[in-house]
Amino acid sequence: MDTKQFNEKEDILTNATRYREEIGENFYDTMLESIYSEAATIAKKSVRQRDDKRIYTLDRTIDRIVTSKVYGFPIMVGLLAVVFWITIVGSNLPSDMLYILLVETLHPALKGVASTIGFPWWLDGLLIDGAYLSVAWVVSVMLPPMAIFFPLFTLLEDFGYLPRVAFNMDSLFRKAGAHGKQALTMSMGFGCNAAGVISTRVIDSPRERIIAILTNNFSLCNGRWPILILISTIFIGSLVPAHIAGLVSAMAVVSVALLGIVLSIVLSWFLSHTILKGEASTFSLELPPYRPPRILRTLYTSLIDRTIFVLWRAILFATPAGLVIWLVANISIGDASLADHFIRFADPFGLFIGLNGIILLAFIIAIPANEIIIPTILMLTVTTLGMHEVGAGTGVMFELDSVSATASIFHTGGWTLLTGINLMLFSLIHNPCSTTLYTIYKETGSMKWTALAAVIPLTLGIAVCFFVAQIWRLFLGG
Amino acid sequence: METMIHSLTALSISILIIGMLIIVFFPEKGILARWNRTRKNTERILIEDALKHIYDCEYNDTDCTLHSIAGNLAISGDRTAKLTEKLMIHGLIESHTGYITLTDAGRSYALRVIRLHRLWERYLADQTGVDENDWHSEAEIKEHAISPDEETAIAAQLGNPLTDPHGDPIPSSSGTVMKQHETPICKLKKGEYGRIVHIEDEPPAIYSQLVALGLHPGMQVRIIDQNDERLTIEADGNECILAPLFAGHIHITPIHHTKDVQHNFQPLSSLEEGEEAQVVAISRKIRGQQRRRLMDLGLVPGTSVTAVMKSVGNDPVAYKIRGALIALRNSQTNGIFIERKEEKQNETTKSM
Repeated sequence: MDTKQFNEKEDILTNATRYREEIGENFYDTMLESIYSEAATIAKKSVRQRDDKRIYTLDRTIDRIVTSKVYGFPIMVGLLAVVFWITIVGSNLPSDMLYILLVETLHPALKGVASTIGFPWWLDGLLIDGAYLSVAWVVSVMLPPMAIFFPLFTLLEDFGYLPRVAFNMDSLFRKAGAHGKQALTMSMGFGCNAAGVISTRVIDSPRERIIAILTNNFSLCNGRWPILILISTIFIGSLVPAHIAGLVSAMAVVSVALLGIVLSIVLSWFLSHTILKGEASTFSLELPPYRPPRILRTLYTSLIDRTIFVLWRAILFATPAGLVIWLVANISIGDASLADHFIRFADPFGLFIGLNGIILLAFIIAIPANEIIIPTILMLTVTTLGMHEVGAGTGVMFELDSVSATASIFHTGGWTLLTGINLMLFSLIHNPCSTTLYTIYKETGSMKWTALAAVIPLTLGIAVCFFVAQIWRLFLGG
Repeated sequence: METMIHSLTALSISILIIGMLIIVFFPEKGILARWNRTRKNTERILIEDALKHIYDCEYNDTDCTLHSIAGNLAISGDRTAKLTEKLMIHGLIESHTGYITLTDAGRSYALRVIRLHRLWERYLADQTGVDENDWHSEAEIKEHAISPDEETAIAAQLGNPLTDPHGDPIPSSSGTVMKQHETPICKLKKGEYGRIVHIEDEPPAIYSQLVALGLHPGMQVRIIDQNDERLTIEADGNECILAPLFAGHIHITPIHHTKDVQHNFQPLSSLEEGEEAQVVAISRKIRGQQRRRLMDLGLVPGTSVTAVMKSVGNDPVAYKIRGALIALRNSQTNGIFIERKEEKQNETTKSM
């Protein structure tokens, strides 16, 4: 480079610096301002707007009702209750049919085929009793409610109602340092936490999004509802006279779910005031115009985007879980199976926090899918107790049609009212299933948030069970 | 009976453990936080802090001595003597009859540390939600830990900013410092207008008071009254009384043309349901992502806005902006200044 060129370059650089200083820091603002005013001028000249006064007024009327200080909240709770009711009632029949088809018919049929071909016992057990049965279980419990819940939710979204819920709920969530839209991701979490975590994409502020992700697990997902309903019927319902047992046990389940909501708000507050204090935060919430929901399109997209997607991941994770369940029950070291060894090892700690070794093992094996917790607990209990007259064999999950038969297995296993209550609490407060954890990792791209999402609820769950157990023993004895 | 004692012991042990965890991990006052703070007094950090102090003395035309270094770094006289000796061996400083000055190498080192400090303050202000009272102390730690690669990346991400969020110029990577065209606020005469360009962020005690008064660079100020004991100013429409000591920390540029003076300081949050208004300005206290979000929504000076409906507790409020219905929180709309539609009509009728 010769001197002349060098001088020119220096000149250009000095000029550039000088201009930058002259333009100043408001450059970005000024530029945007002029772009918008230019765009507005052009639009005024060339765009003619249809008079949509009527639609606009209709929208405002709906808004005035659904965001009203008097009716807003009841409408919201009512709609959510209707969605849940349709989901529960509507999924009963298909769930039973899938169960009869996949578990009660196809499973023995496959066993029959396997024995005809002459499978060795371990291959037959591993593939059919382990992998196939756990997938069949997850599909029959999970598919129908999700296939009903998500489309219903998407319909409300498509209609334009959900952003109004966020608008109503924002003042509460703002106080907890969170975003109003967390009300939506929380509701979505009642269907499935993995889908709830994906839905946090609607929160466009980094801090509030992470809060919503980390607390989504406290929404009781549909894989955990059946555990609570069963345990509550057996342990809480039996405390009161038969004619109100159903009502009382239902209320116990609802209060656990409400406890989840309270916990998620408290944890949001805690997170936003500690680890997430310095993360960037911003707010804006678009309230789109109402429009008639496109039903077919909604059914299609929510089936593909949410139901199939989550189900596929659950199946991927349920297969290895089934293999593990069968293996731990059937591989023996010394005088006992792997499961026995673990249960003996974990029993003191489990009993100490008001659970037991079997429950702890079931929660570990069922990390891939919470749906199989109860069948796993039942299988492990009868195997460990050597109750050969019930159950389907070592390492084969099962469930009983009769609640009282299930209850008698639990009682033989040494369960008390405390075990039942703590199992309900621990079902709510423990690490998310692996599908959810994997989704959290995909969504945040960070091991740190994924690890925290697992560690926070797990620690909290153990702590809650611990305190309940100790205080229980202190006041009510053993 | 045994289990009862058992659970009591378990309960008390667990409460003890929780207490200990709190003592260790409590933010700022916990053992871990204290330990992190003492760890920062390593040799290199002391050298860099000393150079910064000597540069500050040169910049402010005050004398720099061993004594002032010891005071600024809060270390003993002995340690200071050793430190300056080391600095001299490295050729970073010179000493003339007890007064210490920087060599060229020392000055460029000092400028680099200052650049990193101010860049990081800008980063905290624009890209994070860190409280403005913590910018300085966080940058004090971070300035020693940024590598040249990180420096380039941060500067590029922020669009090579010229000043830190307090209005201090950020030295360029080649070590030149932009000249500030600023005057102390006390130079302004009664009734004159100016704009805050710089608020001195040291010492933190004074700065946090100024922050508490709601003052920040970018505000328009007018002198209402001035005497020896206090200065009464109007900052973005709010009256505010300053002691002379505090006023000395605020620097402004005068606004010469009356057309540049902004008269409306009603916040958008004061708009009632159904009222329409035009945006006149967005306060500088709305920074970074928050500001960009508003701009992206088309909320720029000149945009007309109608308040449509209010949520529970009147926060957030849904506004009609450029045909879309968008809810914003009051913490945001407090920083958006508007002119109501009727007032504008009144003004036009008056001028006719």
